[in-house]
Amino acid sequence: MPQAALALAEPHPAVALMARETRVRRGAAPRAIAGHEVGRDQFLLAGDAYLMRSADGIAIHYRRGEGVTVDAPDDADPRDLDLWLHGSVHAAVAAINGLLPIHASAVVSNGRVHAVSGPAGAGKSTLAAGLGNAGLPLFCDDTLILDVSGEGPVECLPGHKRLKLWPEGVALAGAAAGQLVARDYPKHFAEPAAGSVEAVLPLAEIVFLEPGERPELCPIAAGERIARLQDDHYTAKLFAQAGGLSRRERFAQLARIAARVPMRRFARPFDPARFGEGCRFVATAIRGAAR
Amino acid sequence: MSVLARDPARYVETRIDDETVVMSLDSGDFFSLTGTAQAIWRLLDGTRDRAALLAALAAEYGEPETEIAVEVDAFLAQLDAAGLLRATP
Repeated sequence: MPQAALALAEPHPAVALMARETRVRRGAAPRAIAGHEVGRDQFLLAGDAYLMRSADGIAIHYRRGEGVTVDAPDDADPRDLDLWLHGSVHAAVAAINGLLPIHASAVVSNGRVHAVSGPAGAGKSTLAAGLGNAGLPLFCDDTLILDVSGEGPVECLPGHKRLKLWPEGVALAGAAAGQLVARDYPKHFAEPAAGSVEAVLPLAEIVFLEPGERPELCPIAAGERIARLQDDHYTAKLFAQAGGLSRRERFAQLARIAARVPMRRFARPFDPARFGEGCRFVATAIRGAAR
Repeated sequence: MSVLARDPARYVETRIDDETVVMSLDSGDFFSLTGTAQAIWRLLDGTRDRAALLAALAAEYGEPETEIAVEVDAFLAQLDAAGLLRATP
């Protein structure tokens, strides 16, 4: 009789790397990295290190191989710390380790990730909540980490499983408002209506939110896809700084990603009465794209 | 007439789908080339002056040189303004 064996599945290398590199300990953060002092309300990414200092005295330092050091006053709101650690710091650690953070929320359809991107306030999380109502589980909120190292489909690392919604978003999506995200940041946590997915999955597309007269999805051509990757909020700057690449190398890198990632523009009216219509429209399109 | 050519020291390019994407290394600006613009860009390989460029395009598209000259000149001016063109005597 063959010997029974229970083999533990190996975690995806990028997931294992992020788990290792985002270990947090309390300690003293340096005042400067790479010879540059970082003042309050500033951050700096230099080489394999990142340092941020918030306006209210929280400092967070990361160096590759050493993990994350939090230097915060005793009365610091733990919710503020969570916001930093799961937002900017998480993105910086990813970028320093060769992963690409993008400013997007994402849902899953047929085993592939559909990311929703756009500037702050564009409605990324609210649309993700609405797509949850349409039965699409959440993959991440606000920051999506991509592994672009292979030659095949770009892979997505699982992210935060709670949505952060403005009160208007809570009302639009009909979500149950949970606790406030932070003391001075009046977004509410909300549980995704269709649950969430915790697995490394291929990226199907990035959908960019824009205002428009009626719900409409249009493909984005190659040149604009490269430009969109470059313009993507603070995360693109982090990735560029971390890579230390010349303009020529950076273009080649973004072109390789743009060639593998379909993008669409989702225009829809900002009329709250038509929110459900927009969600159903894009949910149907996502399900169609995933076939 | 001077020979017209792309200046490889001033740009990088890539081909994705049916589109040629060119980035100016000086400005970081992107240019998306399809159709006629893509054909002109391809023909700016340093072997043709303006007359030979027009002749090649007229042959490729089956249209009289006089009809395509305005469009070609406008595109060449755009490339020149973006610093992507090199003209050698």
